[in-house]
Amino acid sequence: MAEKEAKSIDQATLEMLEKAAQDGARVVFERAETTRPCPIGADGMCCSLCAMGPCRVQPPKGKEETLEERRKRVGVCGATPETISARNFVRKAAAGTASHGDHGRVMAKFFLAVAKGEAPGYEIKDEQKLLQLALDLGVTIGDRSNEEVAIDIANLLVKEFGKQEGELLFLKRAPLKRQELWRKQGVAPRGIDIEVAESMHRTHMGTDQDYQDLLKNAVKVSLADGWGGSMIATEVQDIIFGTPAPLLSQINLGVLKDDEVNIIIHGHEPQLAEMMAVAAQSPDMIAYAKSKGAKGINLAGMCCTANEMLMRHGVPIAGNFLQQELAIVTGALEAMVVDVQCIMQGLVDTARCYHTKVITTDPRAKIQGATHMEFHEHEALESAKAIIKMAVDNFVNRGKNVRIPKQKTDMIAGFSHETINYLLGGLFRASYRPLNDNIINGRIRGVAAVVGCNNPRVTHDSGNLAMVKELIKNDVLVLQTGCMAMASAKAGLMLPEAAVQFAGDGLASVCEAVGIPPVLHMGACIDNSRILMSATAMVKDGGLGDDISDLPVAAAAPEWMSEKAITIGQYAVASGIFTVFGVNWPTIGSKEVTDFMFKDFEEIYGGMWAFEPDPVKAAHLMIAHIDKKRKALGIDKARERVLYDMAMRRELV
Amino acid sequence: MKYKVKTRKSPGRETVEVLGETFEQGKPEDKDMGRWRQKLGSRGDRLKYLETGERYWFGKEWYGSEKRKIPA
Ligand code: SF4
Repeated sequence: MAEKEAKSIDQATLEMLEKAAQDGARVVFERAETTRPCPIGADGMCCSLCAMGPCRVQPPKGKEETLEERRKRVGVCGATPETISARNFVRKAAAGTASHGDHGRVMAKFFLAVAKGEAPGYEIKDEQKLLQLALDLGVTIGDRSNEEVAIDIANLLVKEFGKQEGELLFLKRAPLKRQELWRKQGVAPRGIDIEVAESMHRTHMGTDQDYQDLLKNAVKVSLADGWGGSMIATEVQDIIFGTPAPLLSQINLGVLKDDEVNIIIHGHEPQLAEMMAVAAQSPDMIAYAKSKGAKGINLAGMCCTANEMLMRHGVPIAGNFLQQELAIVTGALEAMVVDVQCIMQGLVDTARCYHTKVITTDPRAKIQGATHMEFHEHEALESAKAIIKMAVDNFVNRGKNVRIPKQKTDMIAGFSHETINYLLGGLFRASYRPLNDNIINGRIRGVAAVVGCNNPRVTHDSGNLAMVKELIKNDVLVLQTGCMAMASAKAGLMLPEAAVQFAGDGLASVCEAVGIPPVLHMGACIDNSRILMSATAMVKDGGLGDDISDLPVAAAAPEWMSEKAITIGQYAVASGIFTVFGVNWPTIGSKEVTDFMFKDFEEIYGGMWAFEPDPVKAAHLMIAHIDKKRKALGIDKARERVLYDMAMRRELV
Repeated sequence: MKYKVKTRKSPGRETVEVLGETFEQGKPEDKDMGRWRQKLGSRGDRLKYLETGERYWFGKEWYGSEKRKIPA
């Protein structure tokens, strides 16, 4: 059991790991034990760009290298370890931008289809956000219909992907000083696809071989994600599906039901999931489920699709990234419906031990052994109903080997930056002023974004929990997205009462006054763009400097695993935010590259990277950075305040 | 409402009594809880809100920390 405990701190996960072992089902935790990470690749010291290699250029362990040895430690083409390290990093960043960008592109084109009335069943749900974008992009509003305005916006956004010159339109949302810095450094992205393509070209064998120049490109391609692809996806989804506002839901495997047809929607793009939510409530589908002996249809989410569905509809979350196969292990899952990104191929192998159907729905992401049922947005309801029908038909195949963990936790989600603005000030005085004031007076020490994935190389959820608890204990307000948000929610940190239980007195008092938890769920991974907007609002409100790099804020991804996380971290750094990663660091094999990103980046961009696998130490690095910024702003003294009791208050009068 | 009192350590002194939390524990039952955007009924209301609530980007006279600079 002790060994199992090290795999996760989540009881539902541990229980399902035991069941998986009993059932002979293989899951990621077991594969991570049998397939150890390649130490050379993990350090970024392997190049496989051409057929003269692969070349391994790792430094010697435990001894000093002579200059001659160092000179010889290069690839067949002469590429230095710095070039190899930086090229590997750029390719990861480009892959992240490509992934979020492709998501954004699909959403922008989908938005155009919705505006033109070519996607029946979908509509513009949030006129407010539509108008916001029209103002942002200079689209005429006047007396035009929402659809007319939307077509103009959608056309502009679709063009962002293929744009060849100029600048991404959303860069103008950033603080003025930040925009100037990007232009001065030559890292303002022209379009989205062009930066990905150029990154792939630069990193082709024999092209860009100056590590500093390569890393500049990593910055540029990542900014094309944060202020480009991701931001477009977030904004368009808000218009079509609604801007998130606080709502109550539940999380963990315990949300599955033993007497209903359980369907999990897993992946990233919400248009299918939205229609599944509609179809699952339709009387004909419910009647069909009942005809098969089930009491109803229970829809739950996983990974970022879960976050999207949770924030807008309160659809419960079955778990985060490392729990995807464990949902099948319950024996109670009729269908695992997936689209793109973070879908483990191992799902199909796990499903062989149970009755679960793994259903792929996206033409870009098929899995051998899974059932492919392509989702078509122009006949969305029919597509969704066909998938649900297949799940219902599978209910009769559910065996006796069913065990649903009882763990499920209440949570509040839906803190878009617009909602935070509203909650802090109200409808007539919406403002970030109360947040800035409470930072200035020291009740809130600073703000931290803790985001990213799970990784079986570290104890599931534990890095996040240790870090977040340490931060809120020290009066740092925590903003979360992705699978890390889910880890905190499972531990009950996304409820207002968590402020009293876990937060420092200052933060707790503010949370109580505003009525928010100390840890705010801001959405899916693409919604890290919301965090950029919150940071910008803090700057623009005033009193905390005039750039994001002046703010007492920091970011972290304590359990990261995907290339998208690298891109997110890099655009956070390039936006001026100190960012700490756990698990491992992909350039650690090259001291020059790592030093450049950890130290020199601060001079150039005001934000820099750090690596610290111990989550509490990482939290302390973040707090130290926050304190450094407080000192620079001259607000460090405010925290040394005396706590006044009733007697002291009376003396004051 | 009965106020809770808590004991806390205070810098330079031993312990002090301070007011505890004042919110009621439990779940909000109203399903419309948090649906604040629906309060804005018309396009005019929404545009007005953008100009005031989202003044950082859309306020005609608001540049906040950037007031000395040319607006973006
Ligand atoms: S590009 Fe150079 S370092 Fe990379 S595999 Fe080819 S020869 Fe080796």
